This record gives sequence, C-alpha cells and structure tokens, in this order.
Amino acid sequence: MDGFTYYSLFETKGIEYLIIIAFLILIIPFWLFINKPVKITSHIKKTIGILSATVLRVPGGVFYSKNHTWTHLEKSGNAKVGLDDLLMHLTGEVNLKNMKAPGTTVMKGEILAEVDQNGKTLSIVSPISGELIGSNRLLTEEPGLLNEDPYGKGWIFKIKPTQWVAETSSYHFADEASEWFKGEISRFKDFLAVSARKNSADTTPVYMQDGGELADNALASMPGEVWNDFQESFLK
Amino acid sequence: MSINRRNFFKVLGVTGVTLATGKRLTAAPEAESKTEFNAMLYDSTKCVGCQGCEFACAEAHALPAPSFEDTPIVGVERKTDETRRTVVNAFKTTKGDFYVKKQCMHCNDPACAAACLTKAMYKTEEGSVIWRGKKCMGCRYCMVSCPFDSPKFEYFSANPKIEKCDMCYDRFKEGKIPACAQDCPMEAIVFGTRRDLIKEARKRIQESPDQYYDHIYGEHEAGGTGWLYLSPVPFEEMNFKTTLQNSSYPALTKGFLYAVPSVFVLWPAILLGIHQATKDNNPKEEENE
Amino acid sequence: MNNTDYTLPRDNDGKSIWKFLISELKPRGKWLTPFNIISIPIMLLGLVLIVIRFWKGIGSITNLTQEVPWGLWIGFDVVTGVAFAGGAYVITFMVYILNVKKYHTIVRVTVLNGFLAYVFYAGALLLDLGRPWNVINPIIGNSFGTSSVLFLVAWHFLLYMVAELIEFSPAIAEWLGAKRARKILSGMTLAAVIFGITLSTLHQSGLGALFLMAKDKIHPLWYSEFIPIMFFVSSIFAGLSMVIFEGSISNRVFSDQITEKNHKAHDSILHGLSKICAVTMFAYFFLNMLVFVHEKRWGLLNTPMGYWYLTEMIGFVFLPMCLFFYSYRKVNILSVRIAAVITMVGVIMNRLNLTVIGFKWDAAQHYYPSWMEIAVTLAVIFTEIWIFRWVITRLPVLRESPSWAKNNEN
Repeated sequence: MDGFTYYSLFETKGIEYLIIIAFLILIIPFWLFINKPVKITSHIKKTIGILSATVLRVPGGVFYSKNHTWTHLEKSGNAKVGLDDLLMHLTGEVNLKNMKAPGTTVMKGEILAEVDQNGKTLSIVSPISGELIGSNRLLTEEPGLLNEDPYGKGWIFKIKPTQWVAETSSYHFADEASEWFKGEISRFKDFLAVSARKNSADTTPVYMQDGGELADNALASMPGEVWNDFQESFLK
Repeated sequence: MSINRRNFFKVLGVTGVTLATGKRLTAAPEAESKTEFNAMLYDSTKCVGCQGCEFACAEAHALPAPSFEDTPIVGVERKTDETRRTVVNAFKTTKGDFYVKKQCMHCNDPACAAACLTKAMYKTEEGSVIWRGKKCMGCRYCMVSCPFDSPKFEYFSANPKIEKCDMCYDRFKEGKIPACAQDCPMEAIVFGTRRDLIKEARKRIQESPDQYYDHIYGEHEAGGTGWLYLSPVPFEEMNFKTTLQNSSYPALTKGFLYAVPSVFVLWPAILLGIHQATKDNNPKEEENE
Repeated sequence: MNNTDYTLPRDNDGKSIWKFLISELKPRGKWLTPFNIISIPIMLLGLVLIVIRFWKGIGSITNLTQEVPWGLWIGFDVVTGVAFAGGAYVITFMVYILNVKKYHTIVRVTVLNGFLAYVFYAGALLLDLGRPWNVINPIIGNSFGTSSVLFLVAWHFLLYMVAELIEFSPAIAEWLGAKRARKILSGMTLAAVIFGITLSTLHQSGLGALFLMAKDKIHPLWYSEFIPIMFFVSSIFAGLSMVIFEGSISNRVFSDQITEKNHKAHDSILHGLSKICAVTMFAYFFLNMLVFVHEKRWGLLNTPMGYWYLTEMIGFVFLPMCLFFYSYRKVNILSVRIAAVITMVGVIMNRLNLTVIGFKWDAAQHYYPSWMEIAVTLAVIFTEIWIFRWVITRLPVLRESPSWAKNNEN
C-alpha cells in the first residue's frame, strides 16, 4: 500500500467465501462416498439378486463352524449360537422345528433343532458342548429374523459352554472367516452342479446368464433331495 | 475420452515449458489502478476562522448554515454532527490563538469502509470516502470503528442518514473542486493529489521551519489520511488525536478475517474425524434423534 | 401420567393440518400467573415504544450519542444474548461429535433455546438499525461488504438459525406426525451440527472481532487483539451456565412433562456440566492473565477502572470457577446453580465492559441506557420466554418423543 492509490487488504475475501461454500457442499458427498464404497457395490448385487461374498455379513468376534453355525461368547459367560448369513442366503426363509428344550446338556455335534422350508429340512448341529440355557422366543413370532439379522436378533440358542477354548480353536474367525466364506460359495456352486444333476433338478433359476453368478436363495428352488445331499456332503 | 501416453507427455511438456519460460507472475499485489488519490491540505497558520468553509459546505450539501452566534471560541470545542459536516475550532496555544478546521479525514484505508457490511461507506478510487445512502442500513458500525468519530447519525429521523464530509465527490465528478477549498479567502485549504500535497507540505515546512511544527498530521496517522494538516505548534495543543496508530485500522481485523476460511475448512474436517473416531464407542446407536 | 400417552397426530389421520395448528394456538393453562402479570404489561409497553422508535427515530427512546453509537441493545441483547446461546453448540458438540450420550436428554431444549435466542436477538438487532428495511442488502447481494467483520457475523447469524432449525426440526416433525419428514431431517442432523459448531466458533469470536478497530476507544484493560479468542472461550461457559440456569427453572416449571428417569438424570447432567465449566474457566482465567501481561496492563490496575476489572476477573471469573470446582468434587447441585448465576453475571459484566462501559469511557457525556431501552429489552426477553413456553408445552422437547419416532431410531 503506497498511500497514493487504491488498495484493498480484503479484495479476495469474496472469492474465498465462494470457495468455502463449494467446500461445504462438496464435503458431504465426499464424506459419504469415502465411507461406503463396499456397501454400494454389494447393494447393487443384492438388488439384482446375486449372491456373492461381498454381500455376506461376516461380523468379527464370532466363531464360524464348518457346518455354518456361528457361536459368540458374551460377557455373561453364556454363548449364543445361530446360523450364519451364507446358510440363510442359500436357504431363504425357513422355520425352526423340534428345538431341544432348555436345561438339557448338549455335546458338540449333537442336533439342537431343525430348519424347515415346505417339508425340506436341515439339522442344526451344536458347535459347542455345554448346558442349553434358552432359546430365542422372538423367532416363533418372527422367523424372518433368521435371515434379516442372523447374528443379532436372529440368534437361536444360548448355551453355557464347558469347553469353549478347546472346541472353538479350530473354528473360522475374523479375516480368515471372510476368505473361508468366499471359498464356500465356489464350493457350493460345485456341489450344486453335481447334486442337481444327480437328482435331475432344474438349475436354471439358480445360475445367471453371464455364466457362473449364483442367484440368492439358491436352495429354495431345489427339491428335498438336494437338501438332503446338502446336509450329507456339503455341511460335513 | 481416452488418454494415451504420447498425448499425456505432450501436454506435460508444453505446460512445463510455458511455466518455465512464460511471464513471471509476481505474488505481491500491484496497485489496483493508476488513479491517484485526491487529498486536501489544511494550513492552520493561514486560517483566520472566518467560517467561510462552513458556509460553503452547508450550501453545497443543503445543510443549515452556522447561526450568527455559533463562532469558534477558545475553550469551546464545537463538534461536527448530523447538521454540519465541518466545524472550525479556536485554540489558545503557546504561539497564540489558532484555528483548526475539523471534518472526516478520508483515510487511505478507512476503518468505516472496511466496517461497512453493505459497502455504503465506500472509498472511491479518487480517494474520497463517500456514503451511499441507498445501501445503508443504519447499523452505525462505521461510527464504532472510526478512530476520528467522523460519521454522524440522524438519531431523530425515521429514515436516518449518515453525515460526514465526502470531499464534495459530486462536485468533483462535475469537474469542480470541494466547496471549502473554493471559498476559502486565505487559501488555507488546498485541493490536489495526495502525492503533490505531501510534497507541498514538506516544502512549506522546509522553507519556513519556525513557522511550522515539523510534522504533517495525516501523513502516517491511521496509515495515512486524505486530509493533511500543517500546524504552528505541536498537534496535541490543538486537540488532535496524537495517540493513534500509524498503521491502517482495518489491518487490526486482518488476523481474524484471514483465519476465517481456514476455520471453515478445518473445523468440519476435524469434527467429522472426531465423530468417526468416537462412533465406535456406541456401535449400535444411530445418530438419528 | 405417562407422557408417551400424549396424543400426537400420526400422519394427520383424519385431522386437517390447519385445524390442528389452530387448535395448538389456543392457550392452555391459567391466564393470570405471576409471570404473565409481570410480562404482559411490559410487552405491551415495549410494543408502544417500538412504534415510537420507528416514527421518531432511534434517538427518541435511546440515550445513544454520536460518540457512543452502540448501547444496551447491541451490548446486551445481541452480544451478551448470543454468548448465552452458546450452550447449543457446546451440547451438540458433546452429544453428536464426542458421542457423550449422557447429555442427550437436554439437546432439544438447548437447541430450542439457542434457536429462539438468535431469532429474538437478530430481531432486537433490527430495532437498533437505522434503516432496517435495507438489511436485505447484504443478504441478496446488493453489495457484499466482505471486508467487514459485521458482514461475517450477520451472515453467520442467518446460517446458524437455519442450522439450528434443522437440528430442531425432528421435534417439529414429531409434533405434526410427519414420519417421513422426520426421517429425512434426522439424517441431516450431523451435518447441521457440524455446520453449527463451525459457524458458532466464528461468530462468537466474530462478535469480539467487531471491536478490534475501536482500539483507541475501548479501555485498555479490556481491549486486546485477543478479544475474539476470549469471546469464544467465554461463550462456552456462558452458554453452559445458561443451560444450568434455564434447565433448573424449566425442570421445575414443566416438571409434569419430564419422566422420573430424566429428572434424576438432570442432576447428573448439571454435575457433569459444572466440571466442564470449571475447566474452561480455569483456562479462560489464565488466558486473561497471559493477555494482561502481554498488553502490559500493570499500571492500569490502580485506577477505578482497574478495580472494576479486578472485580470482574476475581469476583466473577475466578470465584465461580472455584465454586464449580467445589460443586463437582462435593456433588453439590445447589452450588452448581449458584456458580452458574455468578458466572452469568460475570459474562454480562465482561460483555458490557467491552461494548458499553469501557467504550469511550472517557467521553465527556457518559452513556447509560434510558429506561425505555431497558423496557424494550425486557419486552424482547419476555416475548422469547412466551414463545419458549408455547413450544415446550406442545412439542416433544422436554417430554419423550412419541413411540413411532423412538422405534425408528433402531
């Protein structure tokens, strides 16, 4: 400022405010996008009915057994048991049947209950040994919770475990579980191809046109024989 | 649109060469325009207190002329107000009685213009600080900020104006000089560019060192003003504000206003980050309330 | 009475929205409460004075002069009022950014208070403007005075009112039974909160920055280049003290709306707030010390203004800070309230010292507010309390949200 001609200290303030407004408007989509990339792609897959590993919910802190039951130890000392998301995506909507009564002692590998879909059944096998404390009464009214929230409100049994560490040590967990699920999907595809052919079942509703993508609720359109096969060869 | 490697390197090369050899951009701001500031030089040694400037100003701006009894008297400090843009006061000094004409100082970097949120108070390129009534909301922030208390407010009007000297900007646009300078019989008021008037003032001090106190009031005060004063005695004797800072007053708000954009950008980012970090404390809770 | 039984229309089933709004406007409760008896005449008097002000100019009812252009209305209504409304950004910061769920029950009433405070103090500002109809100029862009701190403050006031309204709007949606609107508005809460906190930081400090150019006109004990920071820090405990003060009154007056659980929780809230106030005031006190040393104010202490400064600092900053500290350690809720009141007086003193008492303290003609200025100020405050009372009794602010809204939260 020489004191003889016009000069303003704040001449750029107007443009600066415009840039600030642009920033504030742009930060909203920027923030939303940076936080939810995974959800977007899996959402798209979900909408067109494809089952893929990205769609699956695989919460950490939960043990997954090879028969696709999960178990989680709570602070109270009791463990919750349920069916994992992959199994629920494969079967679709099911009802629980023949549930073991609370108070009984169960061993790992013992049948706790059955899931049923129009006569087609699968057995739920206990992933841990212990005393059966209770079962989730919400499921009698809202069996859909098994599919909607299999790890939360859709838990099935509460067991007081007796050999928690020993029995869960071989189970899948955290990041390794995600990898395992990916493998299970491709293993299921192989299984379905074999089983469907063996039982002369029609697999057209299950495989997408572009070769290889699996539709959601694949087992729902399969006959009971495939379900028995699934129990015997896949879930073992 | 596909970018292939050749094109990419071509563009990069051209840009690089241009930046390296092109015209060097200076970061320092240059003068906004070549128009020089107008200014006025008031020489107190020549003023006889005739109030001719007061009459001229009142007539030029449709304000009431000073009444017959209202003359500059030693011991009575007259002030400008909403009915008069300039006043002349008399002071008893060590060298005798002298007069001082008082009005808006037309600062180089006026606090009132920086304060005005509607740009009603406006520093023109020619140097005069004018008040543009159509924009004014009457918030009186200019009055709060002015170190000289120049703007005066019509407190008793339903559509109040701000009154202060505007260096007869309208007359200047018609090619005339300010009314007070025109009518002063003793030529105590001179109108010209600020550069020339400072030279003139220095010349006067140099030529008659015992006649003048060696300081041009307004050369540096408040970062420099458009009204320059010469006095026979130290300026405190004539009630000038001599404790003002020698830098611009709007520069005092520079720290705050410069920080504003940074806060606007950093605060949302930091707050989003903290929110994200603490969200895991309550995993099942939603933000929706 | 279980307060979730209060019938709110669900998606206007059957009832027309206009009929509903008109029925809500009908007054409830007694007309002749002590508060009403005091406030109604003053509000009417204020109205008369405002008419006179617009007819005969500001000078006809105020004592403002050419040397002191800003008086009680700016110094108290706007500057102090906004400092007290600072509770909104502090509480929303703690609940939505820091996720401290403890203060969740008071978010709505604090945001409501903040919103009303800004609306009314912006309204009071319009009374102080010489040409209020031109207030549209810096808004519609007739000319943006971007070099002005007041431009920034004015725009922030506007934007902040919008942000507060968005934060509060889920309560309005619940009152009107608008389910989808409520969902959409709730999703905007975080953005509104972040925006609100950013704006608050800048305009609380901005109100202080307004006076930076008046360097030679404000008493050196209160003027420094750090005024913006001081204003910002003091707005934190000023706002929280107002939350404590107002919360204590509301909880008593509207106690039938508050659940047993929330009543008990309120004491715990006050307890937590007292700690925050104590720590903030501790920092503020030392900030003041730093500025004092930096500005070399020692010589000014032994003057009447110096004693006044010490009174403000020791009696109304240091003392209530100790009291908050004590209240927190001894879990004494009554002394939290006392400390809050003393703090509020201290904040009023501080703001008035800078803007009115210390402004042109050496002028020939001292400014003091006329009784008419005080009457108008009181009328504005009472009107605000009336609106507050109207909202509290009809909207789910202190009482629980309707069950459909609560279920949506999961």
